[in-house]
Amino acid sequence: MSNSAIIWIVLPVVLGIGMAFIQRFRKLSAILGTLFPLIFAVLALIFSNGLTLIFLGRAYTIADSLTVFGRIIQITADQLDIIALLYFLCFAWNLGSRLFSVSQWFTSLSLVITALWVSVQFINPFLYSAVVIELIALISVPLLSPRGTPAQSGVLRFLSMQTLAMPLILLSGWMVSGIETSPSAEVLVLRGSLLVIAGFSLWAGIFPLHSWLPMLTEETHPWVISFLQTIMQIGIAIFFLKFLNQYAWLRNQEEIKLVLKWIGALCIISGGILSFFQTKLSRIFGYLFLAGTGYIVLTMAFQQQGWIDLLTLHVLPRAFAYWSLGYSLSMLREALGSESLYISELKGLIWRYPRISTLLFISFLNILGMPLFSLFPSNRLIWSILARESLVIRLLISIGLVGMILMFLRVLSMAVQPADVTEQDKQERPLMLVPVVLIVLIMVLAGLFPQFFSAPVQNLFISFHDLLP
Amino acid sequence: MVACISPDPIDPFSRSGALMIEFLQPLPVYIVLLAALLNLVRRQWTLNLIALVVQFVFVFPPLLKILPLQLALIHPFTGLMVTLILYLTLLGGGGIEAINFHGSLTSGEIFRGLAGLFLLATLHTFLPQIQQAAFPLVPIDHLFLSLGLILVGLLQLGTIREPFYLAIGMLTFLSGFELLYSALEFSYLLEALLVAVNLLLAIVGAFFIVKDTESEPA
Repeated sequence: MSNSAIIWIVLPVVLGIGMAFIQRFRKLSAILGTLFPLIFAVLALIFSNGLTLIFLGRAYTIADSLTVFGRIIQITADQLDIIALLYFLCFAWNLGSRLFSVSQWFTSLSLVITALWVSVQFINPFLYSAVVIELIALISVPLLSPRGTPAQSGVLRFLSMQTLAMPLILLSGWMVSGIETSPSAEVLVLRGSLLVIAGFSLWAGIFPLHSWLPMLTEETHPWVISFLQTIMQIGIAIFFLKFLNQYAWLRNQEEIKLVLKWIGALCIISGGILSFFQTKLSRIFGYLFLAGTGYIVLTMAFQQQGWIDLLTLHVLPRAFAYWSLGYSLSMLREALGSESLYISELKGLIWRYPRISTLLFISFLNILGMPLFSLFPSNRLIWSILARESLVIRLLISIGLVGMILMFLRVLSMAVQPADVTEQDKQERPLMLVPVVLIVLIMVLAGLFPQFFSAPVQNLFISFHDLLP
Repeated sequence: MVACISPDPIDPFSRSGALMIEFLQPLPVYIVLLAALLNLVRRQWTLNLIALVVQFVFVFPPLLKILPLQLALIHPFTGLMVTLILYLTLLGGGGIEAINFHGSLTSGEIFRGLAGLFLLATLHTFLPQIQQAAFPLVPIDHLFLSLGLILVGLLQLGTIREPFYLAIGMLTFLSGFELLYSALEFSYLLEALLVAVNLLLAIVGAFFIVKDTESEPA
């Protein structure tokens, strides 16, 4: 039991499977689903200074590696912040799962999925993690496509893309295995880089391979998809950092940085423009994820002094932005009784549901990176770095941003239109004010004092020694 | 593929035997590809399941050339389990019917069949160059089989929206990749993970079949 891989991977998987048997007791399942990830996150933070804990005069030491089929899963103390972050995400989403009519498997499967994302970061050789990501995609299916509805094309396309990505990543590792001794290293580097970029593009839904993303956000409950996409985006970003850390040939290529800049810019412009033309809020959510992927890719493209700190500063506010938008969209879905959330249904929303709409629009402003809110500090840094970049990339990102702002104004203009308010509409609970005020307060405080907000995760990427200055 | 037996030039029986072996050796490769093509073209669940079984079982001889017996058995055995899961699900949903051999081919089936054949023929033409450039250590028959399955699987994924056939497409694609990768390197952990992926894929396929059956109007 006293092994880091058992504590943070095997045990959560076992507990998650165990919780599947009590999913009918929704209250108990929700409580345990909230409690377990919190415990794992806190434990990870406690042991992050060393795998030995001295308690009541006794020293408790945890072994840092586990051998499975001759391969090693190793989790050292300096990697525990990553685990804490992933389990904290699971905790944050399970905390609100009881409020919405999500799949009854959510609490158990979210724990299993989080444990698998943890394992993705620590399997050696790390390329085998590609297969675990495929397993995560398959396990997510009951959440993405609950029973009672026919299988829709978004989830099928998502599965196809994830399946295609896996071989590319595995082959990339094999292809470059002899790169140091090969006389024609350049050809191998080119092939390896292409495979890695193609594999990650398929996984993350990079433009133009993003078509499944808005389809999936349209078909799935916002609370479920926001969790799956947030943990996936962060998990894949950390996994890509592992590639950069491990492979000097990939890290040192100037072309890779250029490709990443273009990918980031294309994601932001496509996310921005396409979100403006959507008729459903659920699809807009998908395009905002696409733009978010663009920002994360951009932080990785500028591999200069302090870029890891910038990424650290960006991760938690980005996750919080998805959480708050997922929360407000879920509240709206429950209030309106609408699955797709057509923009036309939002007529007079501000008069009908003032609290939910306030949270929705503030969440939109936050995710756009507007001043005063939590994503602004990191986005501002990215924009200031961009000021030194080529005009085309700056232009693409600016157009994307303008597209998102116009989308926001379009939704807002619909919501403020006068509407006939019925007594039934006014049934927004006064108690709703508490979470709304709390969320907005956290957003503003994190925007004003970003250093405090990112303090718990300041050592998030400390284990990537080759990426640190 | 190089013949393993060097026949005595004087003995005509031994010579014909060697020729027969040389002729028969690539036979499993063609049977597997034919089964994959059948799954791509025809839309009859019972026939598709039989083709899937054939596809999984006949990869055993090519695998046996590069892996020990116990390890070569993993892939066909997993395939049989996968097919069994799909069969039981279809049986429960009333999807197993007698095979109709007399139905004429639709334009879509002809298109898929020709597209699959064209892809395999193109692959066969450029196989020596692909082998030389990317996979010099993989025997050419093995490379043809694995890349052929990958291509047919991709074609299936690109042309079909029904969950059952999408699952078959993904299984075919993964099967091709597993064959290719087993010729490059072998790891017990990777093999275990791929078995888990195959079984989960079958369960997901079964889940979709059940969902579709449930949501159909009575």
